[in-house]
Amino acid sequence: MDGSIVAKDVSALVDDRVDEGMFRVDRSVYTDEALFEKEIDRIFEKCWVFLCHESQVAAHGDYFWTEIGRQPVYVHRQEDGSLKCFINACSHRAAILTPFRRGNAKTLTCRFHGWSYKCDGACMGIKNEEPNTDKSTFDLREIARLDSYGGFIFGSLSPDVPSLADWLGEAKPWIDLMVAQSTEGLEVVPGSSTYAIDGNWKFQAENAVDGYHVSTVHRVFANTIAAREGKGEYTGIKKTEAGRMAGGVPTGCYDLGNGHMAVWAQHTTPEVRPIWEQKERLEKDLTPAQVDWILTKGRNLYIFPNVMLMDNPSTQIRVMKPLSAERMDVSVYCVAPKGESDTARAGRLRKFEDFYLTAGMATSDDLAALEDTQEGSLATGAKWNEFTRGMDSIIYGPDKAAAALGFNPPACTENWDHEIHYHGFYRQWLKMLEEN
Amino acid sequence: MSDLQQEVTNLIYRESTLLDRREWDDWIDLYTEDAVYWVPSWANEEETTDDPELQLNLIYLRNRGGLEDRVFRIESRDSYASVPLDRTVHVVGNVLIESENGDEIEATANCIIHTYGKKGGLTRGSLYDFSLRRVDGELRITRKKITFIDDRLEGPIDVYHL
Repeated sequence: MDGSIVAKDVSALVDDRVDEGMFRVDRSVYTDEALFEKEIDRIFEKCWVFLCHESQVAAHGDYFWTEIGRQPVYVHRQEDGSLKCFINACSHRAAILTPFRRGNAKTLTCRFHGWSYKCDGACMGIKNEEPNTDKSTFDLREIARLDSYGGFIFGSLSPDVPSLADWLGEAKPWIDLMVAQSTEGLEVVPGSSTYAIDGNWKFQAENAVDGYHVSTVHRVFANTIAAREGKGEYTGIKKTEAGRMAGGVPTGCYDLGNGHMAVWAQHTTPEVRPIWEQKERLEKDLTPAQVDWILTKGRNLYIFPNVMLMDNPSTQIRVMKPLSAERMDVSVYCVAPKGESDTARAGRLRKFEDFYLTAGMATSDDLAALEDTQEGSLATGAKWNEFTRGMDSIIYGPDKAAAALGFNPPACTENWDHEIHYHGFYRQWLKMLEEN
Repeated sequence: MSDLQQEVTNLIYRESTLLDRREWDDWIDLYTEDAVYWVPSWANEEETTDDPELQLNLIYLRNRGGLEDRVFRIESRDSYASVPLDRTVHVVGNVLIESENGDEIEATANCIIHTYGKKGGLTRGSLYDFSLRRVDGELRITRKKITFIDDRLEGPIDVYHL
């Protein structure tokens, strides 16, 4: 063996003794490259991974190139409206088949030796084809599973996964809260940002549902917005509300099962949210609890292992691509209800730009904090990261807010400063490393 | 070199120098109250977004207050991404006057920005589109569009990195 911790007992990396008031994780989980290779093999290539949103491949021939773990794949909209997803490498000598990350091509021709493929992956042309070639042996390799929920498209390299609906489980009602914001569905707004992080992918997963950092890392954001509002320059829907960041509002954190996690915090000024213009429509179509959750609860949802859906303060899809134990790419997209007014769309985008970009005034601070935790994780002289806050407040099953909406989390607390939702994440992580 | 070319070039040089020397208040004073500061995002590998209101930008500030927010945050010393502050050197060139219409001038320039921070040295590039206006005899910036050619971004990006 290579002498890494993987050669030892992986289970020793997670000290899971909740009944004794202890849950901690060995910091080497963020730095060990051999362990990272196992994560790619046993997690990213063995479960459902988010690929793209349906609006990004809306028309026949639209393609979207992304990765499952590190393997390049592309989603392609078929002539009959269905979707297929292929390994994005020419069957001949592996060149990437899509010239752009996203585009439209009803057939794809490899730019290296000119081999060509139909939309359905069939090899249709080989330059200077030799006699007796059976082109079908060069058909593109389709990934094992492809499915979507609420317009969010997921794929799996492994056939041995549960149905997507079963996998998403208790995260589904959270996705529904986004999808219900338009009768016409959601769309990804033009433009995006990708940034490289010198940090382990699990830190991004943790940060996305870390309520506890908000009142420190984003204190400056709240103060900046408060100073801006004092000048009265941004009003109505274009105002970025930051009231919940100071703390003191109702909140919650949830272990949603299968490694999925979520947090929410009450909005202090929900009427400045872009969705507010649809209040009457929502009240007509949805249950009072759904309306309350959509309008007044800012929500961050993490879906194991690679995607986050945020509705708080704008609406975002954040996708991770793990590159090594200490490096990842993150791509962010603004996803918005189709058909919303230009005023709401502009307000949504300005809030997004204020907060959710590394060129913005909050995600930039998250990024700096994340990279510091990565560097600190080399401090094996003190080897444990603690996830113990809220141990005495765990509710096994739904709290009041969850019961009202109708989802059933394995565990939760009514406080997003707590850390008990990470227990579910690390249990899923460990389970997949041990079982696969 | 014409007097106007010299004047425009000096203004653009001045702006970069004030950013590199962290003279934030003097930097903001180069902008008019109604100045627009716009950094589009990339819509795909070859094109940026082109409708700042209804598409995603990296930064889109519709008046000088947005720049004041940035300076407030930097000067608070409470922003994780801004403490310690990256060191920057802007080298501006290719300053061209595109049009002159009374007190309104359009100019373009290129900039190489070398930054140094936790990740070591990084070199980036920007294309600048300036709208300038003569106010009380002095040229001021009424609009700056920055096409930041980097896409996969390394580290936090603020007004002094662009």
